[in-house]
Amino acid sequence: MGWRWFHQWGSPRWFYERAGRWQLVCGWLALTLLIMGSLWGLALAPVDYQQGNSYRIIYLHVPVAFLAQALYAAMAVCAVVLFVWKMKLADVAMQSIAVMGLAFTALSLISGAVWGKPTWGTYWVWDARLTSMLILAFLYLGVIGLRAAIQDPDQAGKACGILVLVGVVNLPIIKYSVEWWNTLHQPASLKLTEKPAMPASMWIPLLVNIVGYYIAAVYLILGSMRAIVLERERRSAWVRELVSRA
Amino acid sequence: MSLERRMLIRELKLIIARPGDIIKPMWFLVLVVSMVPLALVPDSDLLSDIGSAMIWVATLLALLLNTEHLFQSDFSDGVLEQWLFLNRPLAWLVGLKLIAHWLFHVLPLILITPIAGIMLSVPMEVLLALLVTLVIATPALTCFSGLGAALTLGSSRSGILGVLVMMPLFVPVVILAAGVLIRAMDGSDTLPLLALLGAFSVVAATLVPIAVSAAIRLNIGGSN
Repeated sequence: MGWRWFHQWGSPRWFYERAGRWQLVCGWLALTLLIMGSLWGLALAPVDYQQGNSYRIIYLHVPVAFLAQALYAAMAVCAVVLFVWKMKLADVAMQSIAVMGLAFTALSLISGAVWGKPTWGTYWVWDARLTSMLILAFLYLGVIGLRAAIQDPDQAGKACGILVLVGVVNLPIIKYSVEWWNTLHQPASLKLTEKPAMPASMWIPLLVNIVGYYIAAVYLILGSMRAIVLERERRSAWVRELVSRA
Repeated sequence: MSLERRMLIRELKLIIARPGDIIKPMWFLVLVVSMVPLALVPDSDLLSDIGSAMIWVATLLALLLNTEHLFQSDFSDGVLEQWLFLNRPLAWLVGLKLIAHWLFHVLPLILITPIAGIMLSVPMEVLLALLVTLVIATPALTCFSGLGAALTLGSSRSGILGVLVMMPLFVPVVILAAGVLIRAMDGSDTLPLLALLGAFSVVAATLVPIAVSAAIRLNIGGSN
């Protein structure tokens, strides 16, 4: 095996073909998990004694908010890979993760606002977590905007990489400063270190949905990465062959 | 004469040649501040409550305004390319440029804030705290907006993109500075927050020039 395994990632064609297969697996897995988790969470899980049925938005809100933050970290890992190994695929991944991350951040903000209206009585408060999520959305927007402004894709990728790395160093500082500034949001629904405050009949479907959303995100990112690879390699022989066959 | 000193003198000469570059942001600051009572009510109690925050935001905007094109003229007339051939690390030269920018462009902006403070009837002790926070926080802000300027150097259509990209990173600085101002209004101890603000500035001033130099190298098309 050795380095061969690693070098394969440098080949866009290899990735394009493999990713197609991975996408199929991820797609079906995510679909099954999401249908299972959502049905369980939305129909079978017990009603909350305080919030009634409105709490059920956590089966969307919590996984999406998890992903919004995890994707920024994933993007930073891609940036490191890009700078250390100069792997172009890492840049492709960064490009698709930025868009996906913004989408998930927006979803978590919107789903939170929809839940906030009946529960807190307002769509938006300047609470620490809401604010840091908003800042996260701006950071994603910045990465997307910077890439759009620079024409040469290699240069754009490296500029985005610098921005992402500076952002990831700052992100914890932003989070803590905002938290110190104002906190109203309830503590995290699920923590790795503690037993959840919810009964198992509530958190097991949540866990199923979280895993489902993660796999769905991988599916979506692989799909957009394949599209970007095709676009960037459009002058190469294998892409032409592929297109002429289709 | 050392290279460093010559660089600083060059910056000074450039400013003497184009004094508008310093005056415009100061002008902007005073204009924004004079819009506040017009848009609100000319009630001096209310103004003195929000005045320091307004001045902070206005100074932030003015700073962004004059840092946006920090490297543009050096880039287009080839000075940045010459930097690559000097026997100094690029990050060091970038740091010098940022220091010169802070000294000659940002400091005058801070010096005019007392006038803005008087216009918004900010109390004396808060005004003092405002000056201290600005002096401590602006190095970090200068570094970050310099990075925004460097990242967007190559693209001609970027407009204010550099500012938009960097603005979210200002959050901790703004929060800490606002904390200091609130405590100054209460008359409580501001030192711990000022220390944190200072720490942020020191870390930013040490690390950001490295990122800026990477961004400049990228735009010149050297090896990166």
